[in-house]
Amino acid sequence: MDNIYQPDLMEIAGVRQHTPDVKSVKLRFQDPNRAGSFDFRVGQFGIFSAFGAGEATFNICSSSNWKGSIEFCFRKVGRVTEALWDAEEGDTVGFRGPYGNGYPMEAWRGKDLIFLGGGIAMPPIRCAIWYALENRADYGDITIVYGARTVGDLVFVDELDEWARHPRVRVIRCVDPGGQTPDWTGEIGFVPTVFERADVPAKNAIALVIGPPIMIKNTIPVLERMGGAMSNVYTSLENRMKCGVGKCGRCNAGPVYVCKEGPVFTFEELRAIPMDY
Amino acid sequence: MSGSNGFEPKIVAFVCNWCTYLGADLAGTSRLEYPPNVRILRLPCTGRIDTNLVVKAVEGGADAVLVSGCHPGDCHYNAGNYHARRRWMLFRELLDVLGFDMRRIHFTWISAAEGRKFQHVISEITEQTRALGPWRAYEAKAEIDHRGGLVGQAVSPATGRAGPAPALQAPAPLAEQELRDLARRLLGAGDVKVVIGYGAAGPVFVTKAADVERLVWNEGCQANLTTYLKRKEVRALGKPAVVVKGCDERSLVVLEKESQIRREDVRVIGMACDGMGQEKCAACDTHEPRFADERVGKAGGQGGKPAARYAAVEAILAKTPEERLAFWSAEFDRCLKCYACRQVCPMCYCERCIADKNRPQAIDTSPHRKGNFAWHIARAMHLAGRCVGCDECTRACPAGIDLRLLNLTLARAAETQFGYRAGMDPAAEPPIGAYSLQDKEEFIR
Amino acid sequence: MSARISREDLRKLVAEWLAAGKKVFGPVRVKAGLELYAPLDSAEALLLDGWIRPANSIKELVFPRHEALYGYRILKNRVELVDLAAEIPEQIAIGAHPCDAAALAALDKVFNWDYRDEFYNRRRAATTVITMACAAHDDQCFCTSVGLGPEAERGSDALLHERDGGYEVRAISEKGRILLGGLAGETACPTAQTSGANTPPRRFDSAQVAAFAKEHFEDPYWAERALACLGCGACTFTCPACHCFDMVDEGNGREGVRARNWDACQFPMFTLHASGHNPRANQGARQRQRIYHKFVMYPDKFGEVLCTGCGNCSRNCPVGLGVLPAATEIGNG
Ligand SMILES: Cc1cc2nc3c(=O)[nH]c(=O)nc-3n(C[C@H](O)[C@H](O)[C@H](O)COP(=O)(O)OP(=O)(O)OC[C@H]3O[C@@H](n4cnc5c(N)ncnc54)[C@H](O)[C@@H]3O)c2cc1C
Ligand code: SF4
Ligand code: SF4
Ligand code: SF4
Ligand code: SF4
Ligand code: FES
Repeated sequence: MDNIYQPDLMEIAGVRQHTPDVKSVKLRFQDPNRAGSFDFRVGQFGIFSAFGAGEATFNICSSSNWKGSIEFCFRKVGRVTEALWDAEEGDTVGFRGPYGNGYPMEAWRGKDLIFLGGGIAMPPIRCAIWYALENRADYGDITIVYGARTVGDLVFVDELDEWARHPRVRVIRCVDPGGQTPDWTGEIGFVPTVFERADVPAKNAIALVIGPPIMIKNTIPVLERMGGAMSNVYTSLENRMKCGVGKCGRCNAGPVYVCKEGPVFTFEELRAIPMDY
Repeated sequence: MSGSNGFEPKIVAFVCNWCTYLGADLAGTSRLEYPPNVRILRLPCTGRIDTNLVVKAVEGGADAVLVSGCHPGDCHYNAGNYHARRRWMLFRELLDVLGFDMRRIHFTWISAAEGRKFQHVISEITEQTRALGPWRAYEAKAEIDHRGGLVGQAVSPATGRAGPAPALQAPAPLAEQELRDLARRLLGAGDVKVVIGYGAAGPVFVTKAADVERLVWNEGCQANLTTYLKRKEVRALGKPAVVVKGCDERSLVVLEKESQIRREDVRVIGMACDGMGQEKCAACDTHEPRFADERVGKAGGQGGKPAARYAAVEAILAKTPEERLAFWSAEFDRCLKCYACRQVCPMCYCERCIADKNRPQAIDTSPHRKGNFAWHIARAMHLAGRCVGCDECTRACPAGIDLRLLNLTLARAAETQFGYRAGMDPAAEPPIGAYSLQDKEEFIR
Repeated sequence: MSARISREDLRKLVAEWLAAGKKVFGPVRVKAGLELYAPLDSAEALLLDGWIRPANSIKELVFPRHEALYGYRILKNRVELVDLAAEIPEQIAIGAHPCDAAALAALDKVFNWDYRDEFYNRRRAATTVITMACAAHDDQCFCTSVGLGPEAERGSDALLHERDGGYEVRAISEKGRILLGGLAGETACPTAQTSGANTPPRRFDSAQVAAFAKEHFEDPYWAERALACLGCGACTFTCPACHCFDMVDEGNGREGVRARNWDACQFPMFTLHASGHNPRANQGARQRQRIYHKFVMYPDKFGEVLCTGCGNCSRNCPVGLGVLPAATEIGNG
């Protein structure tokens, strides 16, 4: 029987701890055939499981160009994430996916890219950044504004440095006022304000904005002021999910199943549906 | 040594850290041999041994369970074991009515110096359990009973539920008019912001004096409206007046004792009531409200027959444990885990119910037999000595499960053991949270 | 041409199925005032009249309240998955209502758009639904307001009409024809059309309900309407068409199962994010969701209403809510 809920078994090939409660994990398919045939689009998500604890939904945060493995990054907040936190290299976890629509990277070709992220929202942005850098010629200027509450809450900091070394890439990091350390050289302020100060032309740009609701709420007007069209501003929703495949009835935002028609939406699309996320 | 059939019982012992654990340790270091069948789980104090743990052990396949702690007077935390003793008294009555094999659930006091007693107890329990054979608590044959049931009690039709209307004399229309006038006065004078009352098709929340005609008083007024005092959406409306019957009023007494409401924040409208045609009404002794701020109507005066209050419990106890277990298995097999029973209960006000917690998962969320037994035991225990017998849970249950009988079991235990009836006397000390040095302990070795 | 069967013969037929080892479900009186669809242990247990409709629904036959999806065994750092999908025996629902059967047709679509849920499909394939046209209705029934009726065929494999102390039998699908063999006729006998006394009045216009839910998403109406709502699962769990579920692991550190259990959009934790943010933060939003899902979201995707007007949600609601009171208010504009 074809069982759509049955996960692939994955071996943990590496674990990185980013903050006191955020880790990222690299997984490899145990079944070599699956490893060969597996493909996904950046922006898609998976349903990951710690056997005995249950399943949880995370974005795949690695680039789809990296064959043979996938990565996800999570914050320890509950039952499943606690169990995943305790898992070590060599352990087996489950993965179902890829699910959802992903980012239309082809449609973004020829455009400037603006990535705006807050806190734990870096993982779903990271995959797109790597993808764009790996296809550098396809995209224009890239601006990355990434902020967190405190310096200690920033994730993938080493990669931020790496991205900054690429041509036509500007990386701006910031922390909320009070969240800085004495040796902090980045900006101090909230993502929307810092972004506005950076004065990036948004007219011909695609923006990907992911973060807590308050950050998104305050960023949108800034983008509009800077000439961004709402049909070019994207985000990724995180409505609670169980099945990931349009059955369990949990993830809908108004009339759309976020697990199938999302999680990636433009703000133009979001404005057409009710505030149910 | 194994039984003739090769059966080796699994015994789970929950022991306190300060006495019995040390007693077990002493048995070990003194090389006192005892059967290896026991798995010892150490907790800080018997007061911390949740009855859920015992249920978990049974779920996990234990053939017998032992709970043991310091002798009375010796508790490291002074009174943990006295509190535990009270809970065990109630817990045992519940398990007994459920038909659990009481020969497999043991309680002892074993001190740090009693290595030998520990050895004896374990050996004895092991022998006894070996003779009893494996415990298959959750394998009762239930299919045969899915109709009828052993006690065969009728379920009162819920408000709005199809079925025969309850037969009783219609409450006086005069009272309805009086109620509306009163509500109009209270709202008009701004004494209260909302009157929580009965409407034609369910509870209504009347906020304007002009709307008091929505209030009704008739034989459909079964709900216990005090449950709305805890809901944040209702609280947001401002100071409430709540319409209660004498039985519902009891929950206000408990809620106040548990600091959930301040009496002065609620205006209580007490309705004299001759009965709503429900089972509880037959044994009712609160036809007249006793604590209400405002009273409406006068009851006909035929008091209930309190002697019959626990007749249903006695009836089920007359059955064999196997029959009882089969009965409850059939009842619980119908449970959907819809939690209507919890949601409707005025006493279930926990911010997050134990059934909704997953770290640790005290109760399986699945509505299978194990998960349902665990849920019903936990629910009943959490309401032990608190349930006021409004029967809202039973009325709400879409699966017609006889929750009333479970509640009555614990109410009976509280009354017979501690002379306590929840919500009857504001001055009385609730049984849980208190203890007496004289509490019976003939069941504790 | 239609065929007839007497009451006695209908019971005999049920007895034959049972004797042949088939699982037969039908309305049963569990105790006074409580009728449920349940497995029949004898043909006599089948309740043929004296009730409106059972408090549960036949969705349990195809979508049980608890179902293991697979097992797992943990051996050090390896995991082995265990196929737990046992053979599904042939099962028959006899005496289902048109509002139950129609709901299966709706569930078929959810469980098969894009991803196909074989747990559901296997059970569905093993199930034959023999529906009994309704002889009576109560004031909670509203099938006629959602495009159905007491003789609606959708989702049924055969339809029985009570007539002159017996039943007219009509096969609707191949499955029904096979099960009933020579017994079933092909077309409705004209006399089978009932007088209309069994037909509930149209209580609202479902297009208006949809329009209100769409246009008044943020309306204070929802919070007001939901004041009495307790946030339980009685409405959704007894609804023949509600299909939301949760997925959980149960077991110990060595082995266990991953299972799905019914879940309810009325529970506050249903949509609660780990951050504490809850898109549906109050009961009004949750009551709106139930109506929105049934009258807007599902019809948008699948072209019909996800409510068959059975009235179970209102009958089972401890406080007199469910779809009907709201739908009558917003669907009679
Ligand atoms: C499309 C999508 C992408 C996502 N991507 C990511 C990602 O890349 N990284 C990431 O970290 N997260 C991501 N999330 C969120 C992630 O899915 C959740 O954080 C995760 O499911 C939490 O699972 P858990 O089992 O650890 O928590 P649970 O145990 O399910 O708890 C989650 C929350 O439920 C409540 N809760 C449930 N039970 C209890 C209890 N017993 N006690 C207290 N609270 C309880 C609390 O609010 C708790 O915080 C994503 C979500 C979606 C939908
Ligand atoms: S447990 Fe049932 S009878 Fe007791 S107070 Fe709660 S709702 Fe009323
Ligand atoms: S109301 Fe009934 S079916 Fe629902 S959880 Fe309680 S006992 Fe179970
Ligand atoms: S929503 Fe209510 S009336 Fe409609 S099918 Fe479900 S239970 Fe029946
Ligand atoms: S509408 Fe009724 S049955 Fe549904 S959640 Fe609310 S109180 Fe429960
Ligand atoms: S996650 Fe189950 S329907 Fe979207």
